[in-house]
Amino acid sequence: MIKNIITATPILFSLLFVGIFAFPERVSALPAFTRAHNVECTTCHTIFPELNEYGEAFLKNGYVFFGTDKKKSAEKIKATSSTLVAKPAVAPVADNVVKGAGDADLLNKLKAGTMISADAPETAAVPAQAVDDGRMKSEGLLISGIPEQLPISFTANIHGSYDRNAVNEFDFSTRTLKLNAGGNFKEKVGFFGTYILYTENSAGISNTSQTPTNMTGKDDIVELFIIGRHIFDTPINIKVGRFQPKLGLWKSNNKLSITNSYDTYAYTVGSSYFRIEQPQDAIEANMIFGTRLFFAGGVVNRKEQNTKEWYLHTSVKVGGADYLVNEPEIDLNKEETVFDFLTLTVGGYGYVGTNGDPNTVAGATPRQNDFYRAGVDIDLIYKLYRLKMSGVVGNDDNPDLTYTLPEVKSYVTAIEGQYTIQQNLIAALRFEYQDDGTNIVRRYIPTIAYAPIENLKVVAEYKHESGTSYKSAATTEIDNKIGTLGVTFGF
Amino acid sequence: MKKIVTLAVLIGLSVYSIAEARIKISGRGAKMNFSSDGIPDMYKPAFDLMLVKCIKCHTMERTVIAVQTGRAPITGQPFNKQAVKAYGIKMLRKPNSDMDKKQIRDIVVLLNYFLDENAK
Repeated sequence: MIKNIITATPILFSLLFVGIFAFPERVSALPAFTRAHNVECTTCHTIFPELNEYGEAFLKNGYVFFGTDKKKSAEKIKATSSTLVAKPAVAPVADNVVKGAGDADLLNKLKAGTMISADAPETAAVPAQAVDDGRMKSEGLLISGIPEQLPISFTANIHGSYDRNAVNEFDFSTRTLKLNAGGNFKEKVGFFGTYILYTENSAGISNTSQTPTNMTGKDDIVELFIIGRHIFDTPINIKVGRFQPKLGLWKSNNKLSITNSYDTYAYTVGSSYFRIEQPQDAIEANMIFGTRLFFAGGVVNRKEQNTKEWYLHTSVKVGGADYLVNEPEIDLNKEETVFDFLTLTVGGYGYVGTNGDPNTVAGATPRQNDFYRAGVDIDLIYKLYRLKMSGVVGNDDNPDLTYTLPEVKSYVTAIEGQYTIQQNLIAALRFEYQDDGTNIVRRYIPTIAYAPIENLKVVAEYKHESGTSYKSAATTEIDNKIGTLGVTFGF
Repeated sequence: MKKIVTLAVLIGLSVYSIAEARIKISGRGAKMNFSSDGIPDMYKPAFDLMLVKCIKCHTMERTVIAVQTGRAPITGQPFNKQAVKAYGIKMLRKPNSDMDKKQIRDIVVLLNYFLDENAK
């Protein structure tokens, strides 16, 4: 077996790296938001799809760049910026007079953009959406609110893994192709959708030259929702459709790892399929209060369950850019302090629900599982270091729907430390502890993610999973060691 | 006669103002840069610093265009003194920007100088 590892690992790495670097032009296309807003991937991501604070703000603002209510913050910065100049501040140069020599074509394009958005608030992060490569949007598109660029993109994953406990130790058959769509209509309504076009893993495959009939894990529409922004000119946004309820600080794909969700979001209890990261059919109201508080609450309607489920989330951010992407007030004339670089976000959430047999059948007595989850997440960033901490407690009164398993309490925690070696190279180490009432499992997951091109990343990760199944008839030991090398790219 | 004199003065002033309004640049396209010729000596160290640090993530063309037009080329955001300070703070906090507070301050002051010159 050791021999297999020694011989196969270099081949695996060689194939992937040849594939990545020999044909870089093939992945130069950019996904939907980048196309729509003409910004780099790293505007919103560390290494995609993990979000930085600007990406989080974009998400919270319903897929619209912040461009309103900015005058106050601009004035605040203006008051202090005058201390940095020898001369009195001159009027902003955002008028229509473009001066200087240089690239005449580019200047003309910019001049056109300036004319269109001349009334935009100062320092507002308003991309020149009305101008694309110097071309004016057609009046019809502007009036109807249809995005000029078709707002779709694709994400592909290709994984190779080594699992010493599997019969087929090396597996290269895991791949997924997803269709993503997202954007906004006239900045009044945001929308987002993810559709799995194809997915395949090692299960059920007997002949890798054929497409397996059971495309394991295929869930088709993962998310599809719209967001009514600032309803009745209030700060409140209303989100409707299928989506991940806002509970934890990070959406399920908001991570470096390509395979392992944070266990606090992904664990299940007994045969109950509820997971915190599970997309639900729901209505959610959310709002940014002030600049650094975020609230969300919603109702979930589970299929064939007449009872509704409820959830609440709140988070607060201290340091760093606020939720409206205003940079923190830092006096550049003073010495550096720890607080110049410290960003702390703390979020808490609760979810109460019921699942089990359908309770919509007249005369039947359904077996039901009432459950709740309550959790706290902490995101701490200091210069090149990032620490993500997540903890959740849960209670299920009948997760197996048998009445033989008593009420189950669950305790799960995940801690991940990240270090940014280079802007496109991040290393992480995660520890997870899971007590789900049946098993106690510990996981150690080192990960290294590298993005040679912004829309392509290579991730090498290893998961050592050990634990005890203490509630089974005979106590069994859990010991899994899985290495994964994967490539994800968007286009 | 009075009208001719007035007209001549106005033409003279307009020609003069256009000539002085330009900040000196060199190169075209991705090689576009501020010309070091017209930069006062007190700003030269900051300019040299900018040439090393800022090009790690983007071309100097982006900065030149922003100063010239008052708009950040990629996002279309206004590029004025308030925005320059905000960008400075953003770059200070950006992982791997490899710039300390004094360096950021010097570049902010330099960009403010460029904005002033361009506004003349």
